[in-house]
Amino acid sequence: MKRFPSLFLVAGATAALFLSACGGKSEAPAPAASAAAPAPAAGKQLKIALMPKAKGLGYFISVKAGAEKAAKELGVDLIYDGPTDSNAAKQNEIVENWITLGEDVICVAAENAEGISTALRKAQAAGIKVLTYDADAQKDARSFFVNQATPKGIGDTLTDEAARLMGGKGEFAIITASVTASNQKSWQNFIEARLKEKYPDIKLVTVVPGNDMKDQSQTVATTLMSTYPDLKLIMAISTAAVPGAAEAVKQAGKVGKVKVIGLGMPNENKPYVNSGVTDSVILWNTGDLGYLTVYAADALAKGTLKPGDKSIKAGSLGTFEIQDDNILLGKPYIFNKDNINKFDF
Amino acid sequence: MSQPASSSTQPAGKAILLRHETILLGVLVAEWVYFYFAGTTVRGTVTLGFGTMNRQFDILRHSCEIGLLALALTPVILTGGIDLSVGSLMGLCAILFGKLWQDAHFPLALAIVATLGIGAVAGGLNAALITLLRLPPLIVTLGTYSLFRGLAEAITHGADTFTNFPASFLFLGQERVLGLPTQAWIFFGVTAAYWLLVHQTTFGRSFRAIGFAPEGARYAGLPVERRLAMVYILAGFVSALAAIIYTARLGQAKADAGTGYELFAITAVVLGGTSIFGGVGSIYGTLLGVLAIGVLKSGLGTVPFVIKQGVGEEMSGMLTGALLLIALTGGVLPKILSNWRARRQNARLTPQPSHPA
Repeated sequence: MKRFPSLFLVAGATAALFLSACGGKSEAPAPAASAAAPAPAAGKQLKIALMPKAKGLGYFISVKAGAEKAAKELGVDLIYDGPTDSNAAKQNEIVENWITLGEDVICVAAENAEGISTALRKAQAAGIKVLTYDADAQKDARSFFVNQATPKGIGDTLTDEAARLMGGKGEFAIITASVTASNQKSWQNFIEARLKEKYPDIKLVTVVPGNDMKDQSQTVATTLMSTYPDLKLIMAISTAAVPGAAEAVKQAGKVGKVKVIGLGMPNENKPYVNSGVTDSVILWNTGDLGYLTVYAADALAKGTLKPGDKSIKAGSLGTFEIQDDNILLGKPYIFNKDNINKFDF
Repeated sequence: MSQPASSSTQPAGKAILLRHETILLGVLVAEWVYFYFAGTTVRGTVTLGFGTMNRQFDILRHSCEIGLLALALTPVILTGGIDLSVGSLMGLCAILFGKLWQDAHFPLALAIVATLGIGAVAGGLNAALITLLRLPPLIVTLGTYSLFRGLAEAITHGADTFTNFPASFLFLGQERVLGLPTQAWIFFGVTAAYWLLVHQTTFGRSFRAIGFAPEGARYAGLPVERRLAMVYILAGFVSALAAIIYTARLGQAKADAGTGYELFAITAVVLGGTSIFGGVGSIYGTLLGVLAIGVLKSGLGTVPFVIKQGVGEEMSGMLTGALLLIALTGGVLPKILSNWRARRQNARLTPQPSHPA
């Protein structure tokens, strides 16, 4: 029977925890007074919470830098937190944490649309405004999505940049991730449409998969150059394929003769861009993405951004278009020799 | 006190256990009080942060799956074994549940029952390898740890996610029944069941006996293999239950469900005073361990300094480790101290060489 006292102790303690928690609802001001010491009366400052998919990624750290700049300009209290690895469960737990902390606006890059939406709807029910950026949640779980790039924007920019480098004529090839990947497929469709519409003298000779792996893309690129001796440019539309293609061109001794462009991150392409193998890398300006997101969050909380609006003004970046409930960051950003060293992700 | 193998060590073990649990309870209360004062703010008439009822419910909801795994692991560790595969099994069960419901068009209730069955079978695989082939549990479950997660990832190609579950299912993880989160009732039910099993039946005593001395238990006529098989099969079953609750809480079933949960669960069990070598431990200790970790994880997210720096997750990892070490040291220290005192006293009373038992 010796074990009973401690069992009751546990039960009692658990009950006590809940009772005092219940009490906390009505008589919490006492402890709170000491807790909220730094800013007791300044309850008016907006609280905006920003969540990345994973907080250690260079990509999101640069988003954060832009967000902090906007927060400083607007005088809002910005917090940045997220899972250390891309983890939907952690994202939910952090959103639920923010709900009880009483944030005014929550901005999330969703790891999984449905997974996060449950928590976001809960936030909305608690009167918190919700935005998504980078990766959307379900439509009814947020007010706006800050959309960094439309497939058309990416396709057009890639095609225009290729045409500029090729002088408007010649052969080029595309290295994709896999021929079935839906986002790659849609970029490819926009590229082909743009070619047909604007560049009749440019010929897309083939589209080959590199399985989003650098080694494989490199092999594929080497084969491309021997199969198509007149190839003027390789366009890599999967991030791992850009440095892969560049390495192949470098080793084939065809730097300058076969140009390389692609969709990717600055850091992994810096060596190739700086040495002139890769001409341009296309993505969006992640700092601007964070900046715009915080401006949108601020406007949403103040009521100056409402459903149905067609545009939004974001500080020094000017005005952005809103399509339906997507706030568009606009044209993709072209990283080249002149600017790539300013970015670190 | 019927097992000869344990009768000599049990009283001493129990005394340490009680002291350990008292310390842990103190730690839990201290944590809670600290976060209540440091993590509660008021805005106008609204209380925010740690001192809200919603926060207490969130702690329960977020602790539920790890709590279930910890309960399942308590008897496993009591027998001197370990099961590293429970977190991976959650991933496998989550996606099989999603597949049964979405692709095989099972009714939800049937899919749940089938998933629980799959969990038990997977636990049975561990049990068979451990009891029939007499392989060490650490190695066996290290194997199934990779096997289950690998299977889950292979089936879904690491990418497929099952979503769009009906509200009637999500109720299990997101709504409340009689004021408490739905899954809290399940958790308390399972806790009660495990408490009965470990503390109120001869099964529980046989787990301890096996943990103290498996050979001794065997000679004493205990069906060691059957008992071991039972705890591993139960662990598989409870992992499947945790997977279902996890799926309902998030509204998604993905192969990464429960990643790393086995380590949190083991931490909770050991924090709760169960010896990793087996033989000593209790369900209420595990319950305290689960709550201590849950309160810590949740509470850190409300401390202004931590919010400002955005280091909740890092701090909780660090402090959970520190908590474990402190609790273990706190549990061992009095024993070391009394041993030392006894030795000194012995030395004073009997100057000539003695032969202690």
